[in-house]
Amino acid sequence: MPKELKSPTSSANTAQDVQGIWGMVVDQDLCTGCQACVAACSMENNVPFVGEVDAGYGRSMQWIRIERFWQGSYPNIKATPYQPVMCQNCHNAPCEPVCPVYASVHSLSEDLNLQVYNRCVGTRYCANNCPYEARVFNWRDYMDPRQRPELVTLANHFNPDVTVRRRGVMEKCTFCIQRIRHAEDTAASENRDIRDGEVVPACAQACPASAITFGRIDDPTTKVSQAADTSRGSHLLEELGTIPHVTYLAGGA
Amino acid sequence: MIKKLFNVLNQPLGRIGIFIIALVVLSGAVWGIAQAQKPPQQPIQFPHNLHVRLGIQCLYCHPGALRGPSPGIPTETKCWGCHQQIAIQGTELPKLAAYVKNNQPIDWVPVAQVPDFVHFVHRPHIAAGLNCEDCHGNVSNMTVYQNPQVMNMGWCLNCHRAKTANNPQNNPTNDPAVAAKLEALRVKLTDCSTCHY
Amino acid sequence: MDKKISRRDFLKVAGVGAATTAVLTGCGPASRYVTRQPYTKMPEYTYNGLSTYYATTCRECSAGCGLIVRTMQGRALKAEGNQNNPVNLGKTCARGQTTLEGLYNPDRVTDPIQRDSRGSTIAKKMDWNSAIQVVADALSKNKPDEIAFLMGLAPDHLFDLVTDLTKAIGAAAPIRFGALGMFEARATLVQAASDMFGQEGLPFFDIGNADLVFSFGANFLETWLSPVAQTRGYSQLRRGNPNRRGYFVQFEPRISQTGAKADEWIPVKPGTEALVVLAIGRLVAEANNITLPTAFSNADVNAAAAAADVSVDTLKHLASLFASARRPLAIPGGAALGESNGLQTADAVLALNALVGNIGKDGGVFLSPVAPLTDAYHRPANLKEMSDFVDLLKSGKIKVLFVHGVNPVFELPKSLGLEDAMSKVLQIISFSSFPDETALQSDYVFPDHHGLESWGYQKVATGTSSSVLSGAQPVIVPFFNTKATADVLLAAAQKIGGTLASTLKFTDELAYIQSKLSTLISEPDGFFSAPEINTFTASFQQYGGWWKTTDNRVAPSAGDALNKTFNTSAAQFNGDGDYFFLPFVAPVMAEAGANKPHLQETADPTTTVMWNTWVEINPDTAKQLGIQDDDVVSITSSAGTVEASVYVYPAIRPDTIAMPFGQGHAAYGQFAQGRGANPADLLSNSTNEAGDLAFASMKVSVKKTGKKRQLSRLEGVLGVYGKFGQQ
Repeated sequence: MPKELKSPTSSANTAQDVQGIWGMVVDQDLCTGCQACVAACSMENNVPFVGEVDAGYGRSMQWIRIERFWQGSYPNIKATPYQPVMCQNCHNAPCEPVCPVYASVHSLSEDLNLQVYNRCVGTRYCANNCPYEARVFNWRDYMDPRQRPELVTLANHFNPDVTVRRRGVMEKCTFCIQRIRHAEDTAASENRDIRDGEVVPACAQACPASAITFGRIDDPTTKVSQAADTSRGSHLLEELGTIPHVTYLAGGA
Repeated sequence: MIKKLFNVLNQPLGRIGIFIIALVVLSGAVWGIAQAQKPPQQPIQFPHNLHVRLGIQCLYCHPGALRGPSPGIPTETKCWGCHQQIAIQGTELPKLAAYVKNNQPIDWVPVAQVPDFVHFVHRPHIAAGLNCEDCHGNVSNMTVYQNPQVMNMGWCLNCHRAKTANNPQNNPTNDPAVAAKLEALRVKLTDCSTCHY
Repeated sequence: MDKKISRRDFLKVAGVGAATTAVLTGCGPASRYVTRQPYTKMPEYTYNGLSTYYATTCRECSAGCGLIVRTMQGRALKAEGNQNNPVNLGKTCARGQTTLEGLYNPDRVTDPIQRDSRGSTIAKKMDWNSAIQVVADALSKNKPDEIAFLMGLAPDHLFDLVTDLTKAIGAAAPIRFGALGMFEARATLVQAASDMFGQEGLPFFDIGNADLVFSFGANFLETWLSPVAQTRGYSQLRRGNPNRRGYFVQFEPRISQTGAKADEWIPVKPGTEALVVLAIGRLVAEANNITLPTAFSNADVNAAAAAADVSVDTLKHLASLFASARRPLAIPGGAALGESNGLQTADAVLALNALVGNIGKDGGVFLSPVAPLTDAYHRPANLKEMSDFVDLLKSGKIKVLFVHGVNPVFELPKSLGLEDAMSKVLQIISFSSFPDETALQSDYVFPDHHGLESWGYQKVATGTSSSVLSGAQPVIVPFFNTKATADVLLAAAQKIGGTLASTLKFTDELAYIQSKLSTLISEPDGFFSAPEINTFTASFQQYGGWWKTTDNRVAPSAGDALNKTFNTSAAQFNGDGDYFFLPFVAPVMAEAGANKPHLQETADPTTTVMWNTWVEINPDTAKQLGIQDDDVVSITSSAGTVEASVYVYPAIRPDTIAMPFGQGHAAYGQFAQGRGANPADLLSNSTNEAGDLAFASMKVSVKKTGKKRQLSRLEGVLGVYGKFGQQ
């Protein structure tokens, strides 16, 4: 019997007739912790590398990280199932009300959390208030080839569909919104609706174990809705009432 | 300390000083913005008016507008497609001939630009029935292109709102179904993530 | 006063607010300063803002995964898996994702160079014509037996070309080597198949169709053989069948990334894997009431349990799992093969499979399909052959050495003395795209294109059930002044003339590849066919390769597998240290990822360490030695000493210490150089029975140095008040 999960759509205050409310399902039983999603996300979204020292201070910028914990001690020790954590795109997002400049805002049409880089002034209140630690901050001009000469050639693979962020700006997983927009535009040019599976974020695209499913969660026929609808499903820190758009399927037996 | 400073500034002279500083900052900003709106120097003074009057469609040289985000600026090979049949005369055509001869790209400077935290896509705008001149002005009167207005977010949003307002122009019969569609479209078109990501 | 404010003026004033904000945030994003190639120089078919996608093959390892690379206006933007290619079905690993950081790496060798002296970074740029002349002279002015080629595991088309070339001039066939092949113990796997099935081939383990997997050290979700394909198999094992979830047990001294996914971890003592396998075999035979085969008759369950530090009950429980499973599968791999009795372990595991009758059955053991364009699987050189090769170099008989696609100075154990041997070679020509250690010890570097700028093909060794030839094509115009090594060799052959020129009479690399592909036109079962070679090549490029639509796995006969006798002694270890030394290939970085900054910054899956080498020590051992996290320790084996920071790792045996392989470069560009330590420096050149390096056969001692060097890790944050770095 599937456990009743609060769905973002149940109390969503969204406009009618929009192209969809997007969500993700992560199957922790399948995730092998291989980090392909981390690399894929970084390459797709112009996520900078910060170097060893800044990474040591906890300033690494990846929008998705894979958590693992240990249970017990040797020899009866077990690793908990790998857990990829990215922005959960909460319906009731704690990051939004604390932003003084409305840089962290809610998309009314798609019920996503947005980070508007050109508004952000770097107060970092949002990161402070995010229970998932999903937000990362540009402590330096990590992407400026004038300050990092090694980027002069590396910058050639930057994705032109994603803004290159600079110092003092907060950022986070966007559900690869550039891919959503691209799919919407393609669908509109062909005068049809977006097909299920047409929008694939970089992480889900790369995942060798196919542990990540993405799609519309307001449509019960999609793969992602069906995948979420099992007894293994749960939301991270459900008790906070954030109503995330990401459902985790428990690992283990 | 702060109180002392406040007292100094609260004198007539202090007030005038504050006023002058504010004026300088403001006029500097206005000057800077005006400077940013000036059309840049182009490598060739391309006469748009002449080409438009000859009946060449915008999309002939800027075909990307129909298919994707960027309309594209033609390379010298496109120019040469026609101009190799036409006498090389005047001040500008020899420049083109030189680019072609040296197989050099013409470094056109894009004028109608948005900042790179804005992702503008031409295709849906054309699909929605906008004509090029709605945003780019009457190009048949321009030699070197300049923007007819400042292309900023207010200007974008004004249009997005106007095109989705439930008014007799958009919804002549006041049909509630159309009104709902317009409402949804307005939410979508005024959503930050429509352009910023 | 009625001054009309125009809309334009109004917006200017309104813009003041925006300008102030811009001042506060610093005037906009940095990509404004990103210099790019002029977009005005685009072919007319390239629409601005629209992407072009090319199918090619990943060259980060030799698995041969297909890629689709998104390009826009002449720049490669993103590599994704090719959904058509049966090896990876659209997926990639982290290394495949970051292949673009190799392509646009700031440290690439940009031009052909001649070094002032070996090891010197001062070098003179050359033009390609004189470079080709150097190669032609090297090939023609030396006797055939004075010429040697050392090649990597990829790409295969170049290996074929060099094989043809060496045949034509009468030189020895090129030697093939790669660190991944060394740590995978490929020679052991091939030898085991031939021992047990009487048939040559690389074993194929059908993980996806099994319902119980016992992995003896195999890190099949990391870097082993074909990780993307095996991860797909794992995914199927767990959730492929909605009615049952496959069970997975890992036997290894430390929990690896693969081991962390196991339902049960059995920390067997290093060197006793074979005993455990044989004991389980005996118990399985007893549980299934089979007459005890010869293979397991020597096994002593109690002795094995005692030697392996595993309880008899555990062995009984595991045996009953294996005996009662519908489709049990046992996989040998990793450190279990890199021990002095590694071949015996591999043989015993195959015998265990034969015992439950899964040889050649779904969910069991097959031999991998033989790739197109080849008659059999040709394994890379094992360490024995490499050591013979090094001896040959040492003898001074070799006058010119060509190196492509491999970095042996970094990858081989120091104790082999390769650097010393290289100094006996008069001329060394490297074709490396990167300034790696071997290129640094060469006289010339004639950089090959990056894999994404190259033509080519890769014969897929294993991973999928069909016979696959993955095809590569350039996705961008070469970014630097590099030249395809195949083109250099072909041009040199034409310069030399004679029979060599007539054997290699190809205008360029692509013509050579086409000549090879032409034999596939008449081949049956291809997923596309074409009447002639040009159409065939076009489809080959479009789909990213050619493969069969049939199941080409070879089902070997179990043969005499169960009649073999095994001796029941544990492995021998070198050195007199107190701890077993377990080097493993860093799961994310692997052997050649250290020059890619995003791979460096990707956290190791189990320790979450970034950018450096760590030493894994059990908490109890650390306490005994008075060692804490981030203490720098020196590890000494009979072959050498290295220093690295400690990561107190709760999931490792107290008598074992482990270290990842992949860092510790002395060259290889700014992101790799001078970072971490190389565990290969601690290895002796002892081998197992199949000639593979016994990399897990060292015993080492650990000493505190008193220094502390903090490791960057994702899991724990030092905070702004902590001092990070050297102390």
